[in-house]
Amino acid sequence: MSAIFPSIEWLEDLKEKLNSDEKYARLAKKWEGDMLCVLEPDETLKEPMYLYIDLWHGKCRDIAIWDEIGDKKPAFILKASYANFLRVLRGELDPMQAMLTRKLGVKGNMAVMMRNVPTVLDFVRCAGEVTGEAL
Amino acid sequence: MQPILKINLSTQIFEEYKIPAEWERDYLGAASLAARILYDDLTADLDPLSPESPLLILTGPLTGTFGPATGRFIVAGKSPATRLWAESNVGGFWGVELRKCGYDGVWLTGKSDSPLYLWLNGTKPELRAADHLWGQDTYQIQESLKAEIGSKSAKVLGIGIAGENQIPMAGIFCDHGRAAGRTGLGAVMGSKNLKAIAVLGNGEIPLARPDKYKKLRVLANRALKEDPLTSVMSDLGSAGAAEYLDYLGEMPKKYFSAGTLEGSEKISGSSVAETILVGKKACHGCVIACGRVVDIGDGEKRKGPEYEALVGFGPNLGLTDPIFATRMGELCDRYGLDLISASGTIGLAYSLYEQGIISAADTDGLALEWGNADSAETLLHQLARREGFGALLAQGSLALARHFNAESQAVQVNGLELAYHDPRGASGMALVYATSPRGACHNQSDYFLADIGQVDDSLGLAFFDRHAGAEKAANVARHQDWRTVGNSLVICHFANVPPQTLLDLVNAACGWELDLDALMRAGERGWTLKRMINLNLGLRAANDRLPEPLLKALPDGGAAGYEIPFDEMLSAYYTARGWDAESGVPSREKLIELGLEYIA
Repeated sequence: MSAIFPSIEWLEDLKEKLNSDEKYARLAKKWEGDMLCVLEPDETLKEPMYLYIDLWHGKCRDIAIWDEIGDKKPAFILKASYANFLRVLRGELDPMQAMLTRKLGVKGNMAVMMRNVPTVLDFVRCAGEVTGEAL
Repeated sequence: MQPILKINLSTQIFEEYKIPAEWERDYLGAASLAARILYDDLTADLDPLSPESPLLILTGPLTGTFGPATGRFIVAGKSPATRLWAESNVGGFWGVELRKCGYDGVWLTGKSDSPLYLWLNGTKPELRAADHLWGQDTYQIQESLKAEIGSKSAKVLGIGIAGENQIPMAGIFCDHGRAAGRTGLGAVMGSKNLKAIAVLGNGEIPLARPDKYKKLRVLANRALKEDPLTSVMSDLGSAGAAEYLDYLGEMPKKYFSAGTLEGSEKISGSSVAETILVGKKACHGCVIACGRVVDIGDGEKRKGPEYEALVGFGPNLGLTDPIFATRMGELCDRYGLDLISASGTIGLAYSLYEQGIISAADTDGLALEWGNADSAETLLHQLARREGFGALLAQGSLALARHFNAESQAVQVNGLELAYHDPRGASGMALVYATSPRGACHNQSDYFLADIGQVDDSLGLAFFDRHAGAEKAANVARHQDWRTVGNSLVICHFANVPPQTLLDLVNAACGWELDLDALMRAGERGWTLKRMINLNLGLRAANDRLPEPLLKALPDGGAAGYEIPFDEMLSAYYTARGWDAESGVPSREKLIELGLEYIA
C-alpha cells in the first residue's frame, strides 16, 4: 500500500486498513461521526483538497474527495496545510502538538473528540501506515 | 502605571505609592513587580501572620484592557503555608474595577483591632466596621456588601471563615468562586482583621497607544476564539483534556498511588457537559469562558467544577461523581479554602488510613476509605472550622504527616500540596513542582501542556517526549520564564496567544518597544528574583525535591512503570539556569546579566 497522499487511492487504502485493523476496530467501536480533512494549499499543494471519511463503530463506511464543503456538515472538520498533514501522517508532528500549536484546526463536538483521544490517535496511526509517497 | 493604594491597618493611614518607572519595564507588573516591591520586606524572621507582614494586591499592565483573557490580578506576600514567597492569581472582575478606581494595587500592612472592610469608591478609600460580616462566607459577603454599599456594580474581594481562622490554606476570593487560592494569603488577610475590599470605579484603564491597542486586541481575540485549545476550554471547561490526561496517566488517583480507577471517565469536562452543564461563565472580557454553570438537580444554577475540583474530590479520593465534586468545590469557595490543598490534605488522610498509620480512633470514628464521600465532606467542614480531626488537617499535609511521623508520605513541596498533574505522566512537571517559587504549583508553569505539544518555536520551546529526562530541563526553565511573563501582565494561561501577538499588545499598552528576548528576559528576571527572595527566607537546594511517592513508578495506567530521573533532571536544570550545582544559588554573573545587581 503506497498510494500517493492525497488521492482517492490513498483514501481507498485507508478504508481497507481501517476495516481490517483489529486494534482500531476495538478502540473505535463507539465512534460515530464523519470527518472532512481540509488540506490547505502550500508550496506543494496548489489547490485545497477535501478528503471525506465516514467512520462508524470501528469501521470506515465511506470515503470521497469533495470539490468543496458547500452546505455539507460533517461531524468534524480538520484543517491544516498539506505539509502539516503529511508531517502528522509520517509521525514527524504529534497530532495533539499540531492542535495545540495551531498547525491543525479542529471543528466539531470537542466533547466527543476528547472522549475518544485513543481512537483519534489510533486513526492517525492507521492513516500513517498507509502513507507512502507524497506529492 | 497608576499608583498603589497603601494602607496601614494599625494606624488607618492611607498613602499613595508610586511605582518607579524603571521597575515597570524591568518587571512588567503584577507578580514579578510585587516581588521587586516586597523584596526588602520579606525576611526570614517575619511571621506571615504578624501585623508587619505585607499583603500586596497588584494588577498588571494588561489587566482590564479587553486583551485576550486579561481580566486577572495577583496577591502576594509571605506564605503561612510555606514561609516562602507567596503569590496567587485570580480572574473575575475585581482587578479591572480596581484599575478603574485609579489604582493598580492595594498594599496592606498592620492589623486592625477589630474586623474591617475597605470600601474604595473611585479614589476615595474608607475603612468600615465589618463585625457584622465576620463569619459570612465568600458568597454571602458579595451580597451583603453590595447591599450595604448600595451598588450592584461594585466588586468584592474577601475571605471566608477559613481566612478568619487563619488557616494556612485559606485563599482570597472575588465574585462568586474566583479564587486566589494558593499559598494561604487568605490567612494573612484574616490576620489583619480585614474581611473584604469592595471597589467601584468609573475611570479609564490607562493605555499608552489606545487606538493601536484596540486594533491589536480585536485581532488577538478573534484569533483566540478560533484556536483549537479555546474550543476545548470553551466547550468543556478547564477539565476539557481530562480524558487525555487520564489516558497518559497524568491524572492522579487515590492520592497519587494508582494509575487507573474504574469510572474515571466520568471525571471530565465532557462528562460535565453531557450531564449537568447549563451554561458558561467568563472572566472580564474573556472569549474563552471556561467557567461552568451547572444544575446538580436542585434547580439552582451554580458554579461548575474545574479540573482541580473534579480530580481533587474525585479520583484523588477514589471517587468519580462530578456532582459531589461540584458541591465540595462550592464548599471550598464559600469557606475560602484552597481546593487543591484541602482535597490534597484529605487525600493524605485517606492514604494514611489505608496504610494503618491512622485509624478511626484518630478520626473521631470517621472511616477514611477510598470512595467514602461522606467522610470527605465531614472532614472538609471540620478543616475549615478547625474542629475535631479537621483541626489537624487545617495545618496542611506536611504538618499532618509530621504529626503521624510519616513526613515522606505527604505529596507536597515546601509545604504546598501538589496540583493534580502527576509528573509521572508528564515529566516536565517534576522540575516545575520542585523549583517553583511557591511550592508544588502548576501556575508557575503548566508544563504538562508543553509535554503534550503546546510549544513555540519563537520562544525556543521545543517538543520533547513526555517521558524525556534531563534533555528537557532547559526547556522547562524557558517555559517557567514565559509563564512568569504571563503572571506579570496578567494573562490567563488558558489563552493560547502567539508570543508575538502578546508582545505587540504589551508594547501598545505600555508604550514600549520591547522584543521577545526582552520579554523573556523579564520573565527570567522575575523568576530569579523570587528565587533570591526564597533563599533569603531559608530555602536551600535540599528543598528542590519531589516527594517520595512520586519517585516510585505507578503500577498501572498510561504512565505505568515510568520512574522520573529526577536527580539528572535537576542537575541539568541548575546548569540551564546558571545556578550553582551544589547550592542552587544563582551565580553573581547571572544576577548581573539579568540586571539584578542590587542583590548580586
